[in-house]
Amino acid sequence: MTRETDRLIEARISRSQFFRLMGGAATAALLTACSTRPSTGGTSGAGAGASVDLKFVGVADEKVPMEDLVAAYRQAKAGVSIATSYAPTDQVQTSLRTQLGAGNAPDLHVVYPGNGSAMSMAQIAGAGLLADLSSQAWTTTIPTGFKPAFQLQGKTYIYSAGSSVIGAIYNKKVFEKAGVDQPPTTWTEFLDVCEKIKKSGVTPIALGAQTPWVTQLITYALVPSTVYAKDPTFDDKQAAGQTSFAQSGWRDAMEMYLELQKRGYFNDKPNGTTYEQQTSMVATGKAGMAIQVSAVLQAFRDAATTPDDLSMFPLPGADDPAQVWIPAGVVVGLGASAKSKNVEEAKAFIDFLGKQENINRWAKAIAAIPLTQDAGSTIDPALESFLPLTKDRAVPFMDQRWPNAEVQPTHFAVIQDLLAGKIDIDGALKKMDEAYAK
Amino acid sequence: MSVITKQAGTSAAPAAKPGRRRFGAMTPPWLFAAPALLVYAVVVLYPSIAGVVYAFTDWSGIGGDMSFVGLSNFSAILHDDQALGSLGNTLLLTVAVVVVQNVVGLLLALGVNTKIKSRALLRVVFFSPVVVSPVMVAFLWKYIYNPDPSAGLNGLFGLHVDWLGDPSVALWSIAGMVVWQYAGYSMVIFLAGLEGVPRELHEAAMIDGAGTLQRFRYVTWPLLAPAVTINLMLSTIGGLKLFDQVFAATNGGPGYATETLSTVLYKQAFVYGKFGYSTAIALVLALFVAAVSFVQIYYLRSREVSQ
Repeated sequence: MTRETDRLIEARISRSQFFRLMGGAATAALLTACSTRPSTGGTSGAGAGASVDLKFVGVADEKVPMEDLVAAYRQAKAGVSIATSYAPTDQVQTSLRTQLGAGNAPDLHVVYPGNGSAMSMAQIAGAGLLADLSSQAWTTTIPTGFKPAFQLQGKTYIYSAGSSVIGAIYNKKVFEKAGVDQPPTTWTEFLDVCEKIKKSGVTPIALGAQTPWVTQLITYALVPSTVYAKDPTFDDKQAAGQTSFAQSGWRDAMEMYLELQKRGYFNDKPNGTTYEQQTSMVATGKAGMAIQVSAVLQAFRDAATTPDDLSMFPLPGADDPAQVWIPAGVVVGLGASAKSKNVEEAKAFIDFLGKQENINRWAKAIAAIPLTQDAGSTIDPALESFLPLTKDRAVPFMDQRWPNAEVQPTHFAVIQDLLAGKIDIDGALKKMDEAYAK
Repeated sequence: MSVITKQAGTSAAPAAKPGRRRFGAMTPPWLFAAPALLVYAVVVLYPSIAGVVYAFTDWSGIGGDMSFVGLSNFSAILHDDQALGSLGNTLLLTVAVVVVQNVVGLLLALGVNTKIKSRALLRVVFFSPVVVSPVMVAFLWKYIYNPDPSAGLNGLFGLHVDWLGDPSVALWSIAGMVVWQYAGYSMVIFLAGLEGVPRELHEAAMIDGAGTLQRFRYVTWPLLAPAVTINLMLSTIGGLKLFDQVFAATNGGPGYATETLSTVLYKQAFVYGKFGYSTAIALVLALFVAAVSFVQIYYLRSREVSQ
């Protein structure tokens, strides 16, 4: 050890010297922190004067339409700039709920329609953290069937550009090679199509059940036909305790789900397969189709060498075509933080999004069916076979009416357990009923 | 170092009043640590202690509605299948990781403590996974654990294992990736212990006719006890708190097969919106980790020998 070190160790510092040292360090740190402020805050590009900086946090699905419309808003209203950031759903959920809990949520943020998840409209608006949008003109045109997804106690708290459907995203070339001329319209026809594809040496259905949200899509696609076609008031009766998952067509839907597995129509080891692998399998022709939500159709097209090879058809959950219903849910949207100091500016941006041309732009970017339509509205040709069903044979995604955020993850888990053969359908439905009752 | 510090403190003490003397005798190393301790207190200690209050409430994590619910969150844990199941998974995972990681770490340390030419490079190679983010490691291993028979481990060894999708395999697959990442960490600590074993003792044992195994059993192993204590304690604490790798690789699935206490408390807070209940689980986990660590260090310290 050196002499200098020994001296340092033996040195003494008085109390006043110590506090002066600490005070100096703290002041230096504070000045350093403050000195960075002008450079980070001056990037609005809104020009001099009364510029307003808004912050938006959303999920990755919102990036394309949001960036497009934020750029358009900058043109329309130069004094306002919107800083955007995006992340996968679970990451956004973690950070946003923390910010909401701490009272420093961004001015605008992602909100899921209806109820049933921790970031859903009913949960956040119920806590008084979403601004009321009811005075905006576009809210008066929300179709009656979609109002539960947008409104809580008669007030509108979320903006969404439209609805997406769940069905089969399929590869036309695989179908042609298997000798399938046109998509099936009944459950029996669907099984026949799967059999033909299997015999052609291709996996009929790609299932990426390792990604939790993918597990739910087949039951969601079947339940409208097995439950709601027979009893459109099922949700109300379930909420009133008059029926349950176990007592309903949910059992039929799960039996049909497992029948597909039993017949060998899924890829090998679906619980070890991810959504990305599922996408790649269909896009590259290693699988014939995937039961998916139309919002990801573009992702499938991006992964394909020939995007036009991909299209969609409704998954027929019944043998009577008239009894085939589809799930059509309001797509993920956004809301304005009620605690934001710029709440009026945030609401003004949402009002801008509510204009018909902007609803059309957002819906087109994610292959959704626009909330309201005019001559300028376009609907992806791949969704044409769904349109006749959207009027009176469509129901919102099931979780949007569930009373708490625990049912949906339970659904994910029991489907993985069913695919692994770890539980039976009775056990799965019992767990879902228990989660619903919490 | 500690001896010199003590001497320095003693020489300064007599002149000042008791209270002032204690502060005045504070040596520079403590003062250097003071800012870090202050930050630790503000950023870690205060929120942790303040957070305990939430364990006795039904707060959802957002909004102002909150009421005290006494001990009901704690009694609910005893009836929560998911929490109890995750406790079992956590313990299995911890035992697997602690045993395999330390055995592998010790073997690696013994290997690179020889005179082989590439020992410096091998030390770096074996330690390198430690510096990678656990989430990155999990994503990397998701590719290695590809269920496709022609890809990853299956392709390499001609296997047909659903590494992350089979509930009976997934937990051990996660243990494998944790061991892969942290065996190098254990290796470094064992290596430090091995460096401290005096060469003379080995030479004396050799003169007495001891073979390689006997020298390890009677010379190296007893003197490695402090390194064993540190390694077992750190790997046990790490195993009990395991979150990142599980969350990124399986998110607790398939079903609930790989749920750990950490993933359950995360989901309770951020997915189910039960912040109060989540905090209660976190508190139980913290006390459990503290108790296990205390017992472990008490037992292991008692078997340490001095040179």
